[in-house]
Amino acid sequence: MLRRKAAIATFLAAASVAAGTVVAVLGDATVASAATATFTPVADTYVDNSVTTTNYGTSAQLGVDNSPVKRMFLRFTVSGVSGTVTGAKLRVHTDDVSGAESPSGGTYKAMSNTTWSETGVTWASQPAIDGATLGSVGSVVRNTWYEVDVTSYVQGNGTFSIGVTSSSSDGADFDSRESGSTAPQLVITTGTTSTPTPTPTPTSGDPVLVGAGDIANSGSGDTATAALLDGIPGTVFTAGDDAYDNGSTADFNNYYAPTWGRHKARTRPVAGNHEYNTSGASGYFGYFGSSAGEPGKGYYSYNLGNWHIVALNSNCSSIGGCNAGSAQEQWLRSDLAANTRPCTLAIWHHPRFTSGSNHAPTTSVGPLVQALYDNNAEVVVTGHNHQYERFAPMNPSGQLDNTRGIRHFVVGTGGAGMYNFGTIQPNSEVRNNNTFGVLKFTLHSNSYTWQFVPQSGKTFTDGGTNSCH
Amino acid sequence: MSDVMNDPSGSGGSGRSGDAGPSGGSGMSGSGGLSLRARASVTFAAAVLLAVVVVVYILRAPTGSPGIAEPSAAGTISADGPRLRMLDNGMVAAVSLGDPSGPRIVTSQRCDRAYAAAGTVACLRPASALGATRLSVLDDGMRERRSIRLTGFPNRLRVSDSGRMIAWTLFVSGDSYAGGEFSTRAGILDTRTGRLASSVEEFAAVVDGRPYRAADVNVWGITFSHDDNRFYATMATAGHRYLVEGDFAAKTLKTLADGVECPSLSPDGTRVAFKAAVGGDPARGWRLSVLDLASRKVVATAENRSVDDQAIWLDERTVAYGLQRGDGVNDVWAVPADASGSPRLLVPGANSPSIDLPGA
Repeated sequence: MLRRKAAIATFLAAASVAAGTVVAVLGDATVASAATATFTPVADTYVDNSVTTTNYGTSAQLGVDNSPVKRMFLRFTVSGVSGTVTGAKLRVHTDDVSGAESPSGGTYKAMSNTTWSETGVTWASQPAIDGATLGSVGSVVRNTWYEVDVTSYVQGNGTFSIGVTSSSSDGADFDSRESGSTAPQLVITTGTTSTPTPTPTPTSGDPVLVGAGDIANSGSGDTATAALLDGIPGTVFTAGDDAYDNGSTADFNNYYAPTWGRHKARTRPVAGNHEYNTSGASGYFGYFGSSAGEPGKGYYSYNLGNWHIVALNSNCSSIGGCNAGSAQEQWLRSDLAANTRPCTLAIWHHPRFTSGSNHAPTTSVGPLVQALYDNNAEVVVTGHNHQYERFAPMNPSGQLDNTRGIRHFVVGTGGAGMYNFGTIQPNSEVRNNNTFGVLKFTLHSNSYTWQFVPQSGKTFTDGGTNSCH
Repeated sequence: MSDVMNDPSGSGGSGRSGDAGPSGGSGMSGSGGLSLRARASVTFAAAVLLAVVVVVYILRAPTGSPGIAEPSAAGTISADGPRLRMLDNGMVAAVSLGDPSGPRIVTSQRCDRAYAAAGTVACLRPASALGATRLSVLDDGMRERRSIRLTGFPNRLRVSDSGRMIAWTLFVSGDSYAGGEFSTRAGILDTRTGRLASSVEEFAAVVDGRPYRAADVNVWGITFSHDDNRFYATMATAGHRYLVEGDFAAKTLKTLADGVECPSLSPDGTRVAFKAAVGGDPARGWRLSVLDLASRKVVATAENRSVDDQAIWLDERTVAYGLQRGDGVNDVWAVPADASGSPRLLVPGANSPSIDLPGA
């Protein structure tokens, strides 16, 4: 009895968490084209007839098998979708472990029961898998995505349950919603086209802005990311800590120049804390010259197509503070007030929001975030923690704000050794800390797409699109 | 009693030229573990547990909602066996050791590190950007009994099997054991007497039989023996990372072996699980290994991923530890304490494991 109470309470709490992790990647509302929305399950679990009273609701894995008999249950809540649903696709990812592979990835069926408890369901209490067959997946290998077309079942907003069975005695194992970026997905496509991929193709001709932070040292990571830049045209940004260990002239010449330095003529940098290990960041300002803005300030802006790009200096104590009323904050507010471009992106080094374990969120840049929010900016890009993290659009307090929120990225993946994550912060949507790479923005006239481009030989990526406010 | 250190730039160690203001090794996962006591006492403890009902609030670390979670329901757990305590995305949580993927209790206590033994729950509260950390000593019902201000970024944490002694390691500069310059500070609190050793580095050290003093001494990763006085730890100096045996009452440290980090004493006191730098180079990662204290023989476990944690012993044959996935989610794994077998996932979505036997 007590145990049951606990389970129910945990489920209620878990459901609210799931609601917040829904990743909606919506297309530009003002352009008539397809839009996709990706949903992660609000609940998923499996049951096992060899352990009839065990619940696996918190497991990171989902199993489907016929010996012992394992059945998977998935539930999605689709909301915020308008227009005609032209496609709905269930995506499931096999575990990256030996034994996840199977001759059968299971048979997927609709279910009438959409209220089963993720942390309560056991073999003995499982809901019936009683609806139409949606599809079957043949043989599966480990660490791979598989897709089932569920358009016949998911035709708009609502709650949907899918049950999975297998007739193979060699079962398959999938990642559950607890597993993060390989959690099951329901990808809904609306509109006039049926492009299924959530990563849109940039329109040719729109400006590209590409870069990363935490870049050049004696290791080889910066070599790998500079090679990516070789194949990507457009403007290059840095997000600070461009040249380790001290941003000295020698550090820039020895480490940065041979790699990212190839693209210096099209680079607009910002300074990190390592640049300020050299007094006044003089090595940094000396290397980049006028591209880095005025020495002693290090904040400046420029335009790319319909976009206003703001480079800021988050080494607040070195430039008289970042607080409201500070020289930089005042400059930023007047710069934004004078801007006539409809979309704005800002870059600096120290993240206001981060789940990294090595550097806590930097609250001193809060007034800069506030000024950008007050002026309807779209994107903030930072580094400092050596990893990739993407947040949902948030207000300056870090609350989800799908109307005016700013999407924050940490892209400290330029080449310096990776850091761990600590406590995962609210509204963190995607994280990775084992892949060097660059973040590429394609700046459309009233929207943007982002794409994390991994170093050669790596597979992690991330992408999506948002409209401007 | 104890304002301990208020010296953020680390008088005890080398200042790091790297990034300033690390926020602490929570990603480094884990802290050590309480060795289960003799099997016989487990039966007894389980019997005691049946009688103990712990009231906690069930909360949830809101991965999708802002701010600190509020209690969503009041609930109770009555453990029907030993509990595995851990952190669930920074919140103190517990599962039944017999059913680690079963119902999970998540409390409102937010910690970067947690460790529980015999009903004493130690928690290193997240550091501020300026490096202020607090050690909270909680009882079984998550009531704070004591709090100590510390300086540095939380890393390791340990409670002796009896629940009496608490030891911690903080980074006072730097944020990783892997490379570059860093400085740690390790302290011990005797919760019974209130006696505090705010920096074990100040204990008298004997290296290879000779008295030793050096400015670059750092100590980390303390594990207690059953007598609540003797302990083991890592002492780094002059390029060595020694296993030392310490004496809390006598304030001494003596070296036993080299290349042993973050030791964890087995329940029978004959072995330590530790992390061995691959090829002697911490930048290449660590291999979870076990040292037999009598023979000095070392075996590497079957876990070939790099484990940067202070392991715990689940029983005389099995160790457990945290590992982080590429997306920042941690899991607790277990592997036999010899070269046999293979790692198995013990608790998904958790780190900082320990075994809590309230009333033991």
